[in-house]
Amino acid sequence: MKIPFSWLKEQVPLTSTPAQIADDLVRLGHEVEGVEMPRAAVAGVRVGQIISKQPHPDADKLSLLKVDVGAAELLDIVCGASNMDEGDKIPVATIGTSLPNGLKIKKGQIRGASSCGMCCSEVELGLADESAGLLILPADAPVGMEVGDYLQLEEAVFDLSITPNRGDCMNTRGLARDLAADAGLSLVDMLPFEAAIDATVQAPKVMVSAETDCPAYLARRIEGVKLGDSPAWMQAGLIMAGMRPVNGIVDVLNYVMLYLGQPMHAFDADKLNGGINVRSAESDELFKALDGRELKLHAGDLVVTDQDSVIALAGIMGSETSGVSESTVNIVLESAFFRPARVSETRRTYAMVSEASMRFERGVDPEMVSIGLQQATKMITELFGGVVGEITLCGNTSEINAAKQMHCSISRIEKRLGITLPETVDDVLRRMGFGILRHADRLDVVIPPFRHDVSIAEDMSEEYARVIGFDAIPEILPALATIAPPRPDRSIHDAVAGGFLQVVTYAFISEKEQRLFVAEDGNDIRLQNPISDAMSVMRRTAWAGLLNVSRHNLNRQQSGIAIAEQGRLYNKTENGHDEKNVLAWLMAGESETEQWYGAARQAGFFDLKGAVEAWLAARGLTGRFIADDSIQGLQAGQSAKILIGRAEAGRIGRVDGDIARAFDIDVPVFVADINLDVLHAGKKAKFAPLAEFPGVERDLVFLLDKSAFVRDAGSDAIVQTVNKAGGKLLTETRIFDLYEGKGVPEDKVSVGVRFILQDASRTLTQQDSDAASAAIIAAMDKRFGAALRG
Amino acid sequence: MSEIDSLKAQLETLQSEALAAFSAAIDLVSLQQMRVNYLGKKGALTEVLKGVGKLPPQERPVIGQYVNQSKSVLSAALDIAEAGLAVAAKAERVEAERIDVTLPGRVGATGALHPVQRGLDEMTAIFSQMGFAVAEGPEIENEFHNFDALNIPPEHPARAMHDTFFVEQMGDEPMLLRTHTSPVQIRAMKRFLAESGEPPLAVVAPGRVYRCDYDVTHSPMFHQVEVFKVDRDVSMAHLKGVLKHFLSTYFEKEVSIRLRPHYFPFTEPSAEVDIGCVFCAGKGCRICKNSGWIEVLGSGMIHPNVLKSVGIDSDEFSGFAFGLGVERLVMLKQGIPDLRMFFENDVRFLRRMGS
Ligand SMILES: [Zn+2]
Repeated sequence: MKIPFSWLKEQVPLTSTPAQIADDLVRLGHEVEGVEMPRAAVAGVRVGQIISKQPHPDADKLSLLKVDVGAAELLDIVCGASNMDEGDKIPVATIGTSLPNGLKIKKGQIRGASSCGMCCSEVELGLADESAGLLILPADAPVGMEVGDYLQLEEAVFDLSITPNRGDCMNTRGLARDLAADAGLSLVDMLPFEAAIDATVQAPKVMVSAETDCPAYLARRIEGVKLGDSPAWMQAGLIMAGMRPVNGIVDVLNYVMLYLGQPMHAFDADKLNGGINVRSAESDELFKALDGRELKLHAGDLVVTDQDSVIALAGIMGSETSGVSESTVNIVLESAFFRPARVSETRRTYAMVSEASMRFERGVDPEMVSIGLQQATKMITELFGGVVGEITLCGNTSEINAAKQMHCSISRIEKRLGITLPETVDDVLRRMGFGILRHADRLDVVIPPFRHDVSIAEDMSEEYARVIGFDAIPEILPALATIAPPRPDRSIHDAVAGGFLQVVTYAFISEKEQRLFVAEDGNDIRLQNPISDAMSVMRRTAWAGLLNVSRHNLNRQQSGIAIAEQGRLYNKTENGHDEKNVLAWLMAGESETEQWYGAARQAGFFDLKGAVEAWLAARGLTGRFIADDSIQGLQAGQSAKILIGRAEAGRIGRVDGDIARAFDIDVPVFVADINLDVLHAGKKAKFAPLAEFPGVERDLVFLLDKSAFVRDAGSDAIVQTVNKAGGKLLTETRIFDLYEGKGVPEDKVSVGVRFILQDASRTLTQQDSDAASAAIIAAMDKRFGAALRG
Repeated sequence: MSEIDSLKAQLETLQSEALAAFSAAIDLVSLQQMRVNYLGKKGALTEVLKGVGKLPPQERPVIGQYVNQSKSVLSAALDIAEAGLAVAAKAERVEAERIDVTLPGRVGATGALHPVQRGLDEMTAIFSQMGFAVAEGPEIENEFHNFDALNIPPEHPARAMHDTFFVEQMGDEPMLLRTHTSPVQIRAMKRFLAESGEPPLAVVAPGRVYRCDYDVTHSPMFHQVEVFKVDRDVSMAHLKGVLKHFLSTYFEKEVSIRLRPHYFPFTEPSAEVDIGCVFCAGKGCRICKNSGWIEVLGSGMIHPNVLKSVGIDSDEFSGFAFGLGVERLVMLKQGIPDLRMFFENDVRFLRRMGS
């Protein structure tokens, strides 16, 4: 909302500067988004008179002007406009002036002619968005005068963001009330106005069927208005306040609303048929709104109707056909109090916003319902003539007009704020309209009817806090409780320690991306109002987000990428939904770049597997990787599920090549994820004495059927077999060599197994290792038909 | 020449010949050979000793002495020559092993935490140290926790200001993506009361939140940290004290704070909190729009209706609450100019901000 400074000053004799007023407003709780200074913005632009005008010798469209701006010498100005003549008065930006559009006026040469200033249009002065040429000023404009002064431009316009609880400040008078109270000043009295009633003009017939939603409805007929545009000063004011002039009547109503806060509506009396009824809409009743939308109403919406149709959605918008136009002669003015919750609900149902609805849903000042109507009557008749009928008043205004009372404890407020409430500030609140009485610790408060936001002690504590000033409240650090520090979740930190960059991606992805990794099963959670299709489904996989990040970076000359993300996955369930915590990894491209000490190396499955194993080891866990060709989106033969104990905790594998290419990625991509919710803490490391006697290390090399090895057995199974057969002394087993090719039959693979035997109490002998070897060889033969390689 | 003189001369020749040979030796192996040749059991000196038999017995000890003298002279010379060669050999080896220490080191992959994560970690840690317990809540919420219990009834204008993402119908009630971390207030208070009966309680709740707003300065997903404390006689002065301590600790310097009256349905009084501009120390700059102040968060005293919604008696207890935008504070602390960089995840940005 924009309010010109001069409007405030009409209501209260403020003497502070605009900057001080802005500070005061902020301190009182009214956010100032900006302060425009229209007059200062054109300082240096003066009224000038064109003394002579000649064509530029070298340019058809330019004129050479000699202009009198009240200085000792005439100014030479080269001008590109064509709508001026000798003798015209025009605004001239003199050397050194900065215009609102940022242009700085300097002495210059235009096509060989020197120019010492610039003649301005409304656009350059920031007064309009377009113009037909120079702004030609009236002939009596005094030469040399600052144009800002001559045009009486506003000194300042405050751009305010009024909080939703302060509907009473969505107008000049309300805001001025706060400022006056704060400054110890009084509001200027409003002169009461009663229009002269012409008995021949009938009072409108009004019935209010929905009394709860419409406690007060006033209507008045004015006949014989000669409608034209509103006067220039009013239009200028409306524009300054951020509104567009529409027509004379609408402009007057907006102007009164900006001043007093009461939204009103005008109907063309000749377009109404029969009396007015304010009632609840019937289901599916039709309404064609002023903005062109055709609405099917819901039962319960509050509407204003004539005998035939809905003429307004109460407090929100009039109908397309019932409003005033240039041809209107007779009008019916409406001024009402609509229940805020009703307006709010209806407005939201149809996603409509209007200046009126914004005020009604925050609550208007009941007193202004009738004062607003009188003021509008006064301005309309003064500007456009017409004869005025009696006001029809419907509804029960006693409840909304009744001043509410409350009591609260002073010490309670003081305790909540941490300051004492000096009695001197009671006067500030009294000037704001409150009745304040103190009895020892008890505060009796009479709440003014326009303060719909005040009803309990805490509301009064806010009133006191803002008039005393939040700065007066001391900063006290409360005694600190000591609690057991939480066991921090180090999941992402350990992944980062493993060399991965943490990324954060959106929790919503496209449905297409979801389907790459998760089959359609009806358990997607979709947004009703997504930003776009690309962000429309709550993710059930973290891999899509990681692939998008990879694409972004691989497209930017990154040769390799290793990223991880911790976040949630969202699934619909039978009873609602669940949110799983996951950690996900992605590796693609080079895992080692080419260096002086070595060639580049592409990331492979085992780089990522190693990272996941290290991550598990950091929390005392060991995972079992079980080949699994059925993981959606991963390449068969290079994918596995990860078991921890018996729980399926995660997955790992190479992203299907077609899917990677769908993300514009040509290099192999490997991903993994771990469901953090199924992880229970692993065993805590416990001390065990270090072995004192040396162990025995033995290597055995077996020949296995290739198919048996990769598909059925896997190195895990071999290690398990060796561990089992090796006996109690076996402490470590690992595959140290895998070979196929020359010297090995085509369908075989050579597998080298190294195992270590160790005893805490003695040095082992050849016999020990021979016995273990024999048992292992037998077990390998039995389990895999594996023979020792000769 | 007598026998003895001849032997003496022989010894002298041998000695000078040997010393010349030692100093000419080029490696330890040849020196070793020379030690054998001259001093060994069958070496040259031993040979000389063999000639002693021809001497009269009274002269024999004299030659014996000479030979022993020569032996120790040569032995010492050999030791010196060996040591010299060892030094030279080591020097040669060291020179041969010289490397270019300016070459870059071998690097394993280095990771980095996302700047938002670092911010969350730092903020949570500060509040943990102040005795606030960490709590979390669901991101897909119902209207009760996100709005109603926070004193934002359906017709409330503030509800429309939240740009809420709604999800398609599932279960019995409409669900939405939480627009702030304040619902955790309600959940944590309910859980806490169920466990321990009554306040005090102090909670910090970090998490992701969502608003249907996407432009240069808005991201549809961002992070908040909700902080609240309920106890007997919690006052606005405590709120200011905690804010001041937190903000000064986070920014690693004493910052001034300013509270401006504002409106939030779930607090009363409510205040927007500004900090003295950390870039210009309050003198006025582009970041603070020349005001010297930067808005950082919203705060207030918990509204009695909110306490009532979880069954806390607002006559007996009071509380403060505030919610801070993690990205905003991280941007201010790290000088990050554009919110969108957090979610673009450019690895160059992540590496730089992670160091
Ligand atoms: Zn600054």
